[in-house]
Amino acid sequence: MLKKIFVSGIVQGVGFRPFVYNIAKKNNLKGYVKNKGNFVEIVVNGNLKDINNFLINLKEEKPVLSKINKLEIEDIDTNNDLDNDLNNKLDGLEELNKEFHIYSSQNVNNEVAGTIPPDIALCDDCIKELKDKKDIRYEYPFIACVNCGPRFTVIKKLPYDRENTSMDKFPLCENCEKEYKNPNDRRFHAQANCCDKCGPKVFLTDSNGNKLLEKESAIKKAVELLEDGKILAIKGIGGTHLVCDANNDDAILELRKRLNRPTQAFAIMSTEEKYPLFSKFTKIEEEALNSYRRPIVALKKKENGYNKYISENISNLDTVGVMLPYSGLHYLLFGKCTAYVMTSANLPGLPMAITNDKIIESLKDIADYFLLHNRDIVNRCDDSVLKLISNRMMILRRSRGYAPEPIEIDFSKMAEFENKNKYKNKDENENENKEIINELNNKKIEKNIISVGAELNSVACLTKGNKFYMTQYIGNTSKYETYNYLKDAVHNILRLTNTNKLDTIVCDLHPQFNSKKFANELTKEYDAPMFEIQHHAAHVYSLMGDNGFFEPNITIALDGLGYGKDGNIWGGELLYCDKNYEIHRIGHLEEQLQLGGDLSTKYPLRMLFSILSKKMSLDESFEFVKKYIGKYPELTEKELKLIKMQIKSGLNTAITTSTGRVLDSVAALLSVCFKKTYDGEPSIRLEAFANSCDEKEKKQILEFVENMDNIRYSRLIDYENNIIKTSEIVYDCYTLLQNEVFSKKGIAYYAHLVLANCLCIISENSAKKLNINTLGLTGGVSYNRIITEYMVIKLKNKGFNILLHNNVPNGDGGIAFGQSVGYILKNEIN
Amino acid sequence: MKITRMHGAGGKVMQNLIGDVILGSLTNTQVNGGIGLQDLDDGSTIPIGDNEIVFTVDGHTVDPIFFKGGDIGRISVCGTVNDLSVMGAKPLALSMSFVLPEGFDIDKLKEIMDSINKACEEAGVAVITGDTKVSNVSDIIISSAGIGIVEKGKAVRDKGMKEGDSIIVTGNLAEHGLTILLSREGFDLESNLKSDVAPVNGLIQSVLNEGITINAMKDPTRGGLADSLNEMAEKSGLGITLQEDQIPLSEEVNFISEALGIDPLTVANEGKVVMAIPKKDAEKALEIIKNHPLGKNAKIVGEVTSEHKGVIMETLVGRRVVDTPIGDPIPRVC
Ligand SMILES: [Fe+3]
Ligand SMILES: [Mg+2]
Ligand SMILES: [Zn+2]
Ligand SMILES: [Zn+2]
Repeated sequence: MLKKIFVSGIVQGVGFRPFVYNIAKKNNLKGYVKNKGNFVEIVVNGNLKDINNFLINLKEEKPVLSKINKLEIEDIDTNNDLDNDLNNKLDGLEELNKEFHIYSSQNVNNEVAGTIPPDIALCDDCIKELKDKKDIRYEYPFIACVNCGPRFTVIKKLPYDRENTSMDKFPLCENCEKEYKNPNDRRFHAQANCCDKCGPKVFLTDSNGNKLLEKESAIKKAVELLEDGKILAIKGIGGTHLVCDANNDDAILELRKRLNRPTQAFAIMSTEEKYPLFSKFTKIEEEALNSYRRPIVALKKKENGYNKYISENISNLDTVGVMLPYSGLHYLLFGKCTAYVMTSANLPGLPMAITNDKIIESLKDIADYFLLHNRDIVNRCDDSVLKLISNRMMILRRSRGYAPEPIEIDFSKMAEFENKNKYKNKDENENENKEIINELNNKKIEKNIISVGAELNSVACLTKGNKFYMTQYIGNTSKYETYNYLKDAVHNILRLTNTNKLDTIVCDLHPQFNSKKFANELTKEYDAPMFEIQHHAAHVYSLMGDNGFFEPNITIALDGLGYGKDGNIWGGELLYCDKNYEIHRIGHLEEQLQLGGDLSTKYPLRMLFSILSKKMSLDESFEFVKKYIGKYPELTEKELKLIKMQIKSGLNTAITTSTGRVLDSVAALLSVCFKKTYDGEPSIRLEAFANSCDEKEKKQILEFVENMDNIRYSRLIDYENNIIKTSEIVYDCYTLLQNEVFSKKGIAYYAHLVLANCLCIISENSAKKLNINTLGLTGGVSYNRIITEYMVIKLKNKGFNILLHNNVPNGDGGIAFGQSVGYILKNEIN
Repeated sequence: MKITRMHGAGGKVMQNLIGDVILGSLTNTQVNGGIGLQDLDDGSTIPIGDNEIVFTVDGHTVDPIFFKGGDIGRISVCGTVNDLSVMGAKPLALSMSFVLPEGFDIDKLKEIMDSINKACEEAGVAVITGDTKVSNVSDIIISSAGIGIVEKGKAVRDKGMKEGDSIIVTGNLAEHGLTILLSREGFDLESNLKSDVAPVNGLIQSVLNEGITINAMKDPTRGGLADSLNEMAEKSGLGITLQEDQIPLSEEVNFISEALGIDPLTVANEGKVVMAIPKKDAEKALEIIKNHPLGKNAKIVGEVTSEHKGVIMETLVGRRVVDTPIGDPIPRVC
């Protein structure tokens, strides 16, 4: 019996073909397996029982990294099909009776090439070998096999063969080559295969780049230096880290000084055995931490333990970002230290250095020593960051371990919905109806679309077929260097998917974003039209695409800023997506003056002054904020007077409904943060501050918020226009502070809860009016655990279906994805 | 669509209006192969014999009409003289056309005329023709056209900068624009800030007289230095790299613009020049400029490059793109 099987999904570079080979052998089957680019073709010859067994093995035992999206089986009738036909259909008919073959990748159709997997953490087998004194790869830092190691960060172009990666500089030695060619070996066709004899080497240099030591002795020395409190720059797989002992205050403070990074928390790396000593985690967090993607996970600090093992200078939040080793080199670094600071080796806002020269040049004043190696990093890839919110892992930064794996959307689901709607009331012939459904189901998105994202936490997205390829994390593209990185990343993703034509470019509405400039360039380069999508609409589409949910909904988009359709700055929006995928702004936070534009983001006291001046007289609020003089060096009375005149005249001010700015103002009010030194700092610290409020008071505040009467709420909410009066909320906090009813932490907690409850009230009211059952929550502020968890519980209890993010970042890292989804919904589906 | 303030603010919106509506409607925009309207330079030229007549016109409205350091009269002389001067021309004569609102105070007019006279004396130009109308405008409007002369082929163009040129700014920036803004919005602060409005023909001639080539030149008025440099970069197809720490700014301007969140690079000047000068002559030119009373604070602020397009500024925290301002600033930081 002869059967032909087509498998599509992630089946390249993950050891899929050797696996097929092995299970075919096991089941006594002849035939072949062949890589066809975006799918694998298998022909098996044997008896039915063996073939069925083979299929079960195929589904149940497939390699960890592979993913089967679609499996199709075709019977081949050797009696009926003419020999000639069969020869055309099958490769080597006469071979089918003798052996099972693995055919190498060839004839890969240009436009439908396969998917490059992300980088994969070192697998258990390799870890064992790394620690085995008798193994040839004992303590060899670049150890990898077909199940693990770098992929995306070493590949230059398709197909994923060794000569197209940065391993091309390292010809395989005899032993490695044997493994590479043996289908029974774990290193069969493992492109990153190498050993101490033939592979890359590490070396240690001083801060000027003078080479000191090589190989094992370099690593041993590096560990000594780290234990001794030195700061090292360590070139890893997809980037470079600045590293020091996470329990050495002097080293950490020195690193903070040299990096000019006074407060932002550092991520740390610890081992599987040690991280439970200092952090608390749930099952979901543990799984995420240990997954082959190895992201940084924001874990709660352990009350009895954290201070013993980790310096208090690592993180001033209630959480600490932890990751586990993911390369051989990382495992070799651990000796006495419980954890290391492992922070991207970049200056704020700039891309991290990846070439040895650049690493030394840019970090010579920051690192005491450099631990480098001679393999090139082709694609830079920062560590990914996750946080548990509302019982699921949400992605703060989607990069290493994820990029460039595409997210697929099944638009046929939506087609059915569309269809239902279109034909619901019509009395039509059922068969005809079915045909239409099939037609819609088969509808593929034919266009190639590039979406360039927003500006901060930038990520771009290529959409092709129903696949959405988000690039690695790019960063703040208002910086020229990072803007260029965005361009590189887009051109790389085009190359890695063999994409030569673009049909549409999508960008944000903001007239000054650099990404928009890039979009303009792309439209010229590819002669493709440009399409603009409003920032928060893109957030909504992103949430819908992330959930495969394409029905009308009301989504609350909370963030720092996005350019609104009215030319003002939005950021606290209640948005209704109708059945034609038009987004309507049906409510928002009160409009506030953002004095001096971006300046108010940097110095949150300006927001406080501006907001309070709406409730108090200008003079009164001036006298109040004057009390903050001396709290931070930049603030003088002269400047405050100027700001006062600015409020009065409205000179150089923007109008904003941003949630971030409101939380910022409360952070200033409570003296939590007066100056933003990293994105979102005041509100991030306000959340941590509120969380640290003692449980008894939290409960008291929760009851207080829940039991506030309607009169009070009608002061906070303009029900007619669905506007949340943030001046009242901030003024409440001010009054509570004056009266000392709650502690400062309690007031911070109150601000979160009352805002969250007001948002619940207006969304519930609107949902009732519009007869909507699904409410979504998106935007950067939805990373705020207090607000999100309160709203989810409350709205779920009211019976709503709640949409939250799964695989796409809530924040601006998800904007490009949302831009693509939005474009498709509005132009390709309707 | 209706005209808004943004259409007159310099920057992209205004450029589009001029390009689409105004220039697009005219067929004859050039004489004798000289520089014409389509070039959108600071002025136009009519070649005659060995010379070119340089011609320009400027309408002036300013609120308030009297301000620290000057008034509308002084601006209407300097604005026109400076447009001729940055073409490399020697200004000769002006026309003055007044539109006065009903009820305008004659004493004020007298004051403005005295100021015009003083500015003309400083610049060494004559007012040789004029016109006066009374109309229902809200405040006085002065239009002044100017005639100058330059040797044939020697007019300095916006587009002329070359790779490697040094960019010189002749003094502290943003003083005029900030002065106007603060007095218009009723800011009462003790401050020495005053408009820099002045004729720059003498300063420019002192450089040209030394045989130094100026490859490109503009007066950074509306839209400020950011606007001028972007225009020069775009017209030449080259890029400019600025050094933030070299931008000349007074302490006063620095403080006020930082406190209000205003980018001084986008604020108007009325007595400054930005020049692209071959690197080898740049230091010498800088010295000459610094010896002129209007050029004490001149600086070499950057360089012309073919490595990128547009204007990029090196700052303490990496490089940033300096855009053509679009009018009011829009927040972009989360
Ligand atoms: Fe956003
Ligand atoms: Mg010019
Ligand atoms: Zn492995
Ligand atoms: Zn080897």
